Amino acid sequence: MGDLFSDPFEEPPDDPLSPEPPRRAPRRILTVSQLNAEIRRLLEGPLRDVWVEGEISNCRVWNTGHMYFTLKDGTAQVRAVMFRMPLSYLRFKPHDGLRVIARGGISLYEPKGEYQIVCEHLEPHGLGALQLAFEQLKKKLQAEGLFARERKRPLPSLPRKIGIVTSLEGAALRDILKVLRRRYPNAHVVIRPARVQGEGAAADIARGLRALGRVEGVDVIIAGRGGGSAEDLWAFNEEIVARAIAASPVPVISAVGHEVDVTIADFVADLRAPTPSAAAEMVVAAHEDFCSRIDRLTQRLHGAARQAVQQRRSAVQALSGRRGFAGWPARLALHGRHAAELTHQLREAIVARLARQAREYRTLRTRLDALDLRRRFAVSRGRLTTADQRLHAAAHRARDRADSRFRVLAGRLESLSPLGVLARGYAVCWNAERTAIVRSASSLTPGDRVRVTLHEGEIACRVEET
Amino acid sequence: MDPSIKDFESALAELDAIVRKMEEGDLTLERSMELYERGLQLSRFCHTTLEAAERRIELLNERGETRTAPPSLGLGGDEGDPRR
Repeated sequence: MGDLFSDPFEEPPDDPLSPEPPRRAPRRILTVSQLNAEIRRLLEGPLRDVWVEGEISNCRVWNTGHMYFTLKDGTAQVRAVMFRMPLSYLRFKPHDGLRVIARGGISLYEPKGEYQIVCEHLEPHGLGALQLAFEQLKKKLQAEGLFARERKRPLPSLPRKIGIVTSLEGAALRDILKVLRRRYPNAHVVIRPARVQGEGAAADIARGLRALGRVEGVDVIIAGRGGGSAEDLWAFNEEIVARAIAASPVPVISAVGHEVDVTIADFVADLRAPTPSAAAEMVVAAHEDFCSRIDRLTQRLHGAARQAVQQRRSAVQALSGRRGFAGWPARLALHGRHAAELTHQLREAIVARLARQAREYRTLRTRLDALDLRRRFAVSRGRLTTADQRLHAAAHRARDRADSRFRVLAGRLESLSPLGVLARGYAVCWNAERTAIVRSASSLTPGDRVRVTLHEGEIACRVEET
Repeated sequence: MDPSIKDFESALAELDAIVRKMEEGDLTLERSMELYERGLQLSRFCHTTLEAAERRIELLNERGETRTAPPSLGLGGDEGDPRR
């Protein structure tokens, strides 16, 4: 520093306005303004471009946008200013206590006789500027709760459309589309091309996110780019991108660079993919989970239906095996005709039901066949065919089961027929009109007519006495 | 599609509920059959919806308009791969 100051005095610049060396000059009186102007000229020449290391203190940004602060070390300090424009290019936010290296020129503020360093650029001491900016933004957004776990939304199982914000020329897009083509062939993709590095990239990405969020049917968005240097990936560390991700109406997957690259976007996103391909895999996995869930549910549905029928079948079997059942024939005998009637009704009902089911099945089958024409994808076709066969088989099984169940019941009813009892010598006595069974002699008087059913044939009788 | 089925997620939720109910048992045969038929309907709906989608790649421009992407984009460049 001392050298810098002494130079202009020892070797005054070759300038007609500069004063004569003091030792030879006659007394010359300067105004304060002249003095300050002179000092200014002296300082602003050789100290036009200096690098100063120090700690920031008393840092204030005025509403003009300029920042005034003091740079200091253990024993000295100097006033400093950074104007709005260069300040806006800084990626980190200067604050008190931050050690920086400032580059700028010394300038004298003549009205006050104070000099200051007018900073063109600041960089954090030790930490790289990018890293500092990263840490600062991370801290800020974290404090706002933007990284909170509760904010993370699950991926949709069946995205109607998949939005992608990335460069059209980049490897990221190629990788994503490659995975989708292989494992999610009927995906509907909407790409919003965006610059992913350089001037304006962050704003473009943010606009892209907002635009995709407005597209009807877009249920998930992948935002990302392929690998590159920290500078290349920088746009994904900008606040404007982080805010756009946080505000997205649908889940966002960040997919920036390689596994080791971590960006602010990754923290805000609903899901962080280590690479663009991995982002596509995540969408695919959610979709495949979903497909297998439907398959599993359908299988359980068939199983439960089988179970329902089987339970009843074994209940019938258990019942028929019971001892108490042996007493039923006598009781049932007299209701034989009724039973036959009921049996007939039951048969009708079952036949009608089966016919109705068959009709419904055919209708569904026809609709299913119509849909068949639209099937385009081999994988899915296999699955549907299997489901269809199972459906078919299940319908047949259900029908067979109902049928055999009916046969069992009919057989049992037959064994309970009154004919069996009559064969053993019992007879049934009816009133003359054959509308009621005579159970008591007291209900008759001599001369009444009755009819008696025997094992073979029927006879008409007259009551002699009661 | 069946008007009684609102959308995919609700179809899946309903199918799930039906299967649970049937697996718990305690239903009349009639009710089981009803549920079974409804379940099949839902399962079919899910499958057909899954497959109704068509592969499409579109570009969204600055004005918010979408247009179909040039085929070269979707092919991604590895179509020329001799191993395929």
